[in-house]
Amino acid sequence: MALVGAVVVWAAVRPVYNPALCACAQLISRFGEYPAASMVVLRDGDALLGRSDMRANSDWLKIPMTQIHFNLVPFLALVLALPKPLGGGQWRRLLAALGLLALSHALGLVWEMKALEALSMGAWSRANYSAIARNVYGTLRYFFNIPVTFALPLVLWVGAYSERVFALVGLPAGESR
Amino acid sequence: MRWLRHFLATPAGRFVGRYVAVLSIGFLILALRPVNNHLVDPYTTFVAQESKVTLNLFGEKAQVVGQVLTSPRFSVTIFNGCNGLEAILIFVSGVVAFPAPWLRKVFGVVLGFVAIQVFNVIRVVSLFYVGILRPQWFNVSHVFVWQSLVIIFGVVLWLVWVRRYALANTQR
Repeated sequence: MALVGAVVVWAAVRPVYNPALCACAQLISRFGEYPAASMVVLRDGDALLGRSDMRANSDWLKIPMTQIHFNLVPFLALVLALPKPLGGGQWRRLLAALGLLALSHALGLVWEMKALEALSMGAWSRANYSAIARNVYGTLRYFFNIPVTFALPLVLWVGAYSERVFALVGLPAGESR
Repeated sequence: MRWLRHFLATPAGRFVGRYVAVLSIGFLILALRPVNNHLVDPYTTFVAQESKVTLNLFGEKAQVVGQVLTSPRFSVTIFNGCNGLEAILIFVSGVVAFPAPWLRKVFGVVLGFVAIQVFNVIRVVSLFYVGILRPQWFNVSHVFVWQSLVIIFGVVLWLVWVRRYALANTQR
């Protein structure tokens, strides 16, 4: 039931969340960029990544938005599986956790954009990004593609609901050492 | 930052801190080119071989070419990220970070490795059949359904290990 509830919430917020995420990712991508040309455009459920100063017939990188934010479903399923997930002021922690998850989604798109610019545009990439920058953006893309996407639901679940999760396994959560 | 220091001083905070540290180091090691060439790629081929054997039990006449699993009806390439190694690392990090005796952690690692292996082969085989029978559902099944299930399976497996093995017969 928790999983079904999570899918329903995810499907309901997607029409609003997708454009907001793309706009946010484009804003962050353009931070400190001159000219501000990075573009993250939503089309048919995919994020199209490219630059406004590229030739009109240039290919754009297509990233399915589901790939970026599907981990919202397991996170919400884990939250909804707990007894009274919003009781006792827990909604504040849930909001904070959802904020962090949304930030990870936006950054996931940003690193895809930056890795595209730094690694996949041939001579232009080599002229505009140093070897260190290319490695950094490649590593960030890798981390946000797999480890962050897959591990964050557990980290945020344990972090936001530490007392309940540790009570679930039979340990106290809140005592200082 | 005071809340973070306070949180990291609690048992739950220590677990999260250790988990993130172990996970980051593990993924950095996996990303190294020699590790990728000598461990990750052969492991991915091994997963493809396991899936081939399972598919052939159903009479599929599957073959493996490198990391491509192919039959007369469908073909898939198993990439890094689809080989289950990352799911295993995420689970193993949870086991290593949890305060439990080392012998029980070793048992957890072995249990998790085997369980996630089996789960991943089921995933690959089911996706293969989705590709044959409902190719229009392949992307949704691959990205949305199975990746969500992998995360939930890993967390449930970790909870089972903690409750049944890590804390069994210990004073809580």
